[in-house]
Amino acid sequence: MAGKVGAMKKKTWLRAEVGASRAIACLVLLALWQAIALSGLFFQDVVPSIDRVLFAFWSVLADPLFYRNLGVTFGEMLVSLAVGCSTGLAAGLALGGSPFLSRAYEHFLHYLGSAPKIIFFPLMILWFGVGPGSKVGMGVISCFFPVAISVAAGMRAVNPVWIRVGRSFRASPLQMVTKVYLPAMRTPILNGFRLGVGVAIIGVLLAETKLSNQGLGFMVMQSYSRFDMPRMYALLIIVIAMAVAFNTLAMRLAGSKP
Amino acid sequence: MRHWRHRLLPVAVGLASLALLAAVVELMVRSSLINPFIMPTPSSVFGSFGRLIGEEHGLARLGATAAEVLAASVLITVVGVPVALLLHWRVRLRAAFESWVAALAAAPLVLAYPLFLVLFGRSQLTIVVMAFAAGVAPVILKTVEGFAGVRPVLVDVGRSLRLTPSQLFWKILLPAAIPSIFVGLRLGLIFALLTVTGVEFLINIGGLGHLINELAERYDMPGTYAAITFVVLVSVIFFAILESGERWLARSAR
Amino acid sequence: MTVRGPAMLKIEAVSKRYGYGASAVTAVDNVSFDVAAGEFMSIIGPSGCGKSTLFHVIGGLTGADEGRVSVEDEPVTAPHPAIGMVFQEESTFPWRSVAANVAFPLEVQGVAKRERLERARRFIALVGLKGFENHMPGELSGGMRQRVSIARTLVSEPKILLMDEPFGALDEQTRLLLGEKVLEIQQELKQTTLLITHSITEAVQLSDRVMVMTFRPGRVKRFVEIDLPRPRTAEVMTSDRFGHYVAQIWGDLREEASRGMAAQEERVRTHPGV
Repeated sequence: MAGKVGAMKKKTWLRAEVGASRAIACLVLLALWQAIALSGLFFQDVVPSIDRVLFAFWSVLADPLFYRNLGVTFGEMLVSLAVGCSTGLAAGLALGGSPFLSRAYEHFLHYLGSAPKIIFFPLMILWFGVGPGSKVGMGVISCFFPVAISVAAGMRAVNPVWIRVGRSFRASPLQMVTKVYLPAMRTPILNGFRLGVGVAIIGVLLAETKLSNQGLGFMVMQSYSRFDMPRMYALLIIVIAMAVAFNTLAMRLAGSKP
Repeated sequence: MRHWRHRLLPVAVGLASLALLAAVVELMVRSSLINPFIMPTPSSVFGSFGRLIGEEHGLARLGATAAEVLAASVLITVVGVPVALLLHWRVRLRAAFESWVAALAAAPLVLAYPLFLVLFGRSQLTIVVMAFAAGVAPVILKTVEGFAGVRPVLVDVGRSLRLTPSQLFWKILLPAAIPSIFVGLRLGLIFALLTVTGVEFLINIGGLGHLINELAERYDMPGTYAAITFVVLVSVIFFAILESGERWLARSAR
Repeated sequence: MTVRGPAMLKIEAVSKRYGYGASAVTAVDNVSFDVAAGEFMSIIGPSGCGKSTLFHVIGGLTGADEGRVSVEDEPVTAPHPAIGMVFQEESTFPWRSVAANVAFPLEVQGVAKRERLERARRFIALVGLKGFENHMPGELSGGMRQRVSIARTLVSEPKILLMDEPFGALDEQTRLLLGEKVLEIQQELKQTTLLITHSITEAVQLSDRVMVMTFRPGRVKRFVEIDLPRPRTAEVMTSDRFGHYVAQIWGDLREEASRGMAAQEERVRTHPGV
């Protein structure tokens, strides 16, 4: 009993220590930032002081333009997720269901899927124009590959005895898909979607920073070219926080721990 | 016969359909069914590979990219592994900061490239730093995981043989953790290559990514298509080398 | 019990090979038998005698290379509605509740929801799982899950129940209890049953007739009529005659099993590390 209490005490003590060291690390980092900002070591505004970033943060959130651009980025993302996830799912089901198709085409998927996606952006501009179309295109090609690869692998990993059970009860091909394969593949499908969401956001936002006249990525580059550093820092924090939040949300929905 | 039906035929079909696709696109572009400004003929794309290597100094660009990846890889290794050791030896540090490293691994750092551009200037340094930042987290995580995953019975064996702490590390802990460390290094180097080519393209400096951007801005369509194909090939070969290297090292480390 | 009714299931000269050329293995070689309506028959043999292959051929999941399987003179070329299969492996769908698992075959047939749930409930009660309708398979023990699979197969009311080592993964006591349960159900439904097993006691406990198979290639070695009174109470199972049947089948099986073991050792010797 005494040992148990001792162990518990040790645990809470460790937790307190962890919290304290994290807080200290945060404070040190912030202090370092502020010191560098005030020292004038870097050219002008390259490292703006914390209070100015906070002020810029506030003014970005109060700016109606921000919400218009947020809407644009959001719309591009939703369209590219819808297209990328559905085409990826279809391709993954075809490849996972047919050993022949898999041997014929799946290695191409792995080749293209492992290349950096942003280098395809010039092609997206050619095919879909400089507007939102090319950003959606980037989101789609980012999202498609992880979804297709994960679904194909997941389909091959479905417990063969479930397939035999379905066949022994003479389920039709459609029933096999809807009643056996899809429910059995819940985890790999959601996992593919989660990976897809993560890279689609990056694809869309990077495309916006490269060439566009609207969207959050455009706002970042606008403040970069105007050398409005506090605003750029604030926007980057928002953009990255958004990407992380989306990723966490997708992970929650996929039922896996972050 | 069976081998042919099950292994070679699908591969042949895959390659044949690629060739067929190229032929169809070629015909459609030549008969103006596809706008030639959007899609150059596959034959002209194929023909521009020579030009990429010759006029565009493709090999020198490949060398620049390789140098950046190499520099980032060295940094990743010499920083990542010691940091992981520190986290492994100091339980409290690990409890406090391992989740921060995991967050760093998951964060879309590449989005912050304007920030790195401001801090480190429009130079190859920016590219190396970004590649390092993208690749170091998986190395740390996998190395810590490797040390933590050493089976306790192996350590007990070492203790029972009265090994010194340093013998215990070199003869038992490190060899047992090596496979996991190599997995981390492979992931880290993959992220480094992806970041290097991506950022080269985005900030228009350095090697292969820069080449794609230049050709695209010149509206050299066959060249752009060829350069993109070239980068895809380079990354596929790089990943294949890493994979077989990891397998070879893991085997010889046994 | 020795007077059998008309044949419900007919297996005629079935052979099945795997692989091609020199590495070809004959799994089942020229096997013929029939199962009468209402009969409980078991097939027993050492591992590697092609029992499971035979199971898949009879169930219509794999085609035979030679010979013919028929149900009341109708050839079986694909899964047949008259045959219900229970698999050796854990085969409940983990994403469906017990009731939804058992209702699955009816759902596939397009039976209305109310009716299929009602019928599912009846068969869940039959296998003794009343009250667990809304549990998920993950919450049940291995023996309970296997009873769910049996109920799922029975719910479509197949004329022939075909089971491949349904209790193989369970411990001895659970096996015996589940065996009693299956027998009870079989008597109640007058269910024609073909059980594939490697347990001699199980075969003798449950069957009217046992077919012993040889080790590779799988051929029919002998049929043994089990002339024991039903129900097969503990008293019957400890009787001398029960022991006599077990000893007789073990005598046949021993030779085959040792050939199987020798073949296994040979394979390890020639392919070290496999």
